[in-house]
Amino acid sequence: MSDYVKLDDVTLAYGDVVAVPNLSFEIGKGELIALLGPSGCGKTTTMRAIAGLMGLASGSIHIDGRDVTNLPPSKREVGLVFQSYALFPHLSVYENVAFGLKMRGEKNIKPKVEAAIESVGLSQFANRLTPDLSGGQQQRVSLARSLVVEPKVLLLDEPLSNLDARLRLEMQMVLKDIQKRTGVTMIFVTHDQSEALALADRIVLMKDGKIVQSGLAEDMYNAPETRFAADFFGFENILPGEDGRERAWRPNAIRLGEGPYEGRIRGMSFGGDYRTYVIETDRGQIKGAVAADLPAYAEGETVRFDLPMAQAVALQAG
Amino acid sequence: MKTSSFANWTIIGLTLTFLIGPFIVIILAAMTDGNNLAFPPEGLSLRWFVKVFTIESFRDSFVISMVLAIFGTLAALVIGVPAAYAISRYKVPGAGAVQLIVSSPLIVPGIIVGLALLRYLVIPTGFTIFATLFLAHTALILPYAVRVVTSSLQNLRTDVEEAALILGCSRLGSFFRVVFPNIRGGILAAFILGFVTSFNQVPVSLFLSGPGVRTLPIDMLAYMETTYDPSVAALACLLAFMSVGIVFLAERFLGFSKYV
Amino acid sequence: MFENRTTGLLLVLPAALFAAVLFLVPVGILLSEAFRSDGGSFSIQAYIDFFSSSRNNTVFWRSLKLGLYVMLTSAVIGYATAFCIVQLKPKSRGRIFALIILPLMISPVARTYAWLVILGRTGLVNQVLIGLGLTEDGLRILFTETAVFIGLLQLFLPLMIISLMSSMENMPRDVIPAARVLGASWFSVFFRVILPLTREGLVVGGTLVFAGSMTAYITPAILGGSKVLMLETLLYQRVTVANDYTSASVIAMILVMMSVVTNLLLKRLAKPRNRRV
Repeated sequence: MSDYVKLDDVTLAYGDVVAVPNLSFEIGKGELIALLGPSGCGKTTTMRAIAGLMGLASGSIHIDGRDVTNLPPSKREVGLVFQSYALFPHLSVYENVAFGLKMRGEKNIKPKVEAAIESVGLSQFANRLTPDLSGGQQQRVSLARSLVVEPKVLLLDEPLSNLDARLRLEMQMVLKDIQKRTGVTMIFVTHDQSEALALADRIVLMKDGKIVQSGLAEDMYNAPETRFAADFFGFENILPGEDGRERAWRPNAIRLGEGPYEGRIRGMSFGGDYRTYVIETDRGQIKGAVAADLPAYAEGETVRFDLPMAQAVALQAG
Repeated sequence: MKTSSFANWTIIGLTLTFLIGPFIVIILAAMTDGNNLAFPPEGLSLRWFVKVFTIESFRDSFVISMVLAIFGTLAALVIGVPAAYAISRYKVPGAGAVQLIVSSPLIVPGIIVGLALLRYLVIPTGFTIFATLFLAHTALILPYAVRVVTSSLQNLRTDVEEAALILGCSRLGSFFRVVFPNIRGGILAAFILGFVTSFNQVPVSLFLSGPGVRTLPIDMLAYMETTYDPSVAALACLLAFMSVGIVFLAERFLGFSKYV
Repeated sequence: MFENRTTGLLLVLPAALFAAVLFLVPVGILLSEAFRSDGGSFSIQAYIDFFSSSRNNTVFWRSLKLGLYVMLTSAVIGYATAFCIVQLKPKSRGRIFALIILPLMISPVARTYAWLVILGRTGLVNQVLIGLGLTEDGLRILFTETAVFIGLLQLFLPLMIISLMSSMENMPRDVIPAARVLGASWFSVFFRVILPLTREGLVVGGTLVFAGSMTAYITPAILGGSKVLMLETLLYQRVTVANDYTSASVIAMILVMMSVVTNLLLKRLAKPRNRRV
């Protein structure tokens, strides 16, 4: 079923300021979805509305066929991993994880709590107070705390943004593993396209509270439909075509050294495997990336280049 | 920029002598064995410290001051903590006006409040002096309670409350299970500050005294007018020790100064 | 989750109502009293009468004068002391700071009472003066403006030192050596560097000390008695001795205005600075 989580014509506002107008989308059971967009695009607001931390101005939200629009957060069966982790500073790791089960009045929670702590590899820290843990450990506590109550939907706010590169990869694997193991539906919010591509099955790209484009991660990467989406996914060269439609190329799609166009090298940055050149042309600035083992161009040098149509993406207006 | 460290310490020493010297003088003067307040004391004894406890009016007014300080502070916290919570968490309409009203007891000199309450509350409505004193002290402590608790609340992230809600807490439940344990230090600091403020308070209570109902500082002022023996000095010392002791312990175990 | 204004309002309501009913209403009535003529219409006759009495005038100007003296003296002592303290190592700085604020925790009655022993006819100061042969039977210090001045200075000096210290701690590091290297004398270092950079602390401390002194009760009551009346002791005396509520209302208005102006000034200063001084 593809409408496990369903937002229908949802409008969200802070006072009189509308942050998200008339948003609708659906998510299937067990999917891992990224809400992607620059800061202020309404993605976090949308997530807070799904969690019940923010009231709807209009519209409705359904989870697993149940209308949760007017339910308080405690009755929605969602989990939320906050960007700041939001652990209870006065409680130990164990007590943090046990909190949700206690609130539900469950008996004999010890095995469940211990298993949850074990699953994130923090057994030896169970009695520590949470402010004593590292950022990565805190996030895993937060994850265990959200998952132990077996939520229908797990929401994650910028789950990778506070981690360094190594921990980031580790956490990606942990999240993928959770998805496989528990089959929980996950929605995460991020401003970083590489995070979204690495984690998500499907990406919902947002701008100014509206969905710009949504689809499978690979499709989004290869075939952005609008100028905004193209720019967001790294198509840095966007030029108007002869038919009036804009076309976009990634820097590594530009061929340097031959071709019908001519420009002057303005600058170069070395990126290890490749060099990226900024080229001044009569059609504006172009960025072209070339393998580093090819001979380098000097600044001020005139260079010929080609914009291969086979690697161009044609954009819609907007 | 090093001025000589000798000159440094001389200046600090002189200032401290001026600020703290009088206490040392009065402690010694209270330890006199003679019948008059004098310095240097005529022989050393603690008999005036003992005498203080035998003066009935001091005992009565001490109890009154204690009751006012403890229960007045508690009452101020009961209405002050919700207000602090609202101020730090909600966009309250007219928040500026509300804050001004709540902090008005700090702005209006106490003597005026006492007089106003005597004239327009006690006399027309027959409210007892004690009840009025209690209300006045509660109001006086209110701004301190609100300020200290507010700053303590501002140091607590709001998303922990949201996390509690998502995990199944009610709003009230999340306050008692998550917010309260984390601002306990602030509340305790507010209590101590309120207690000391109320206990040492004079101007508000000046007009609010009647037969058998007097706060301790007012009672001391009255006693001083008629008697010039070392018992007031001894009592002053005891009170000073009490305040300093409380604040010292609070600083030691609570880091009091970070809240105030 | 905190967007519900009604909840917020309900939470502040008890405190706001309590303070409003118990404070603002009675105090408001008291203040309005002096503006009512016998017939009940608005009049400022009470103020004219109040200031036409030479005794009231004396008290008013004395309060202003003493407030000003205490403020200026505490500024001088405060600068010297605060400057010395901020140069100490952090550990001893903390200890000295604790000693400076210690008097603030102690009952003002106890604080003021000590001066009776020191300034009395047979007190410490007179004993020293007699011992040095400077006077024969002791000076009358108690119940003079001097005694009140000394008491107020001890009471409020810590506030000035605290304000100046926090300003000085916020001064950019090494501005003083920089000025000295550039050839400034200590005199110009103070007036051209320290003073401008600590102006805010001086104003905060100064207003606190000035308003505190003007509206003090205990110190003038104990050290000034009925001879050296200040505004609050005059108010107390007018009510208890003469049942003169009209004068009391006038004095109350003066005191409240003082307090309000002080608070406005401090609020202004408390706002983050974004302009150049």
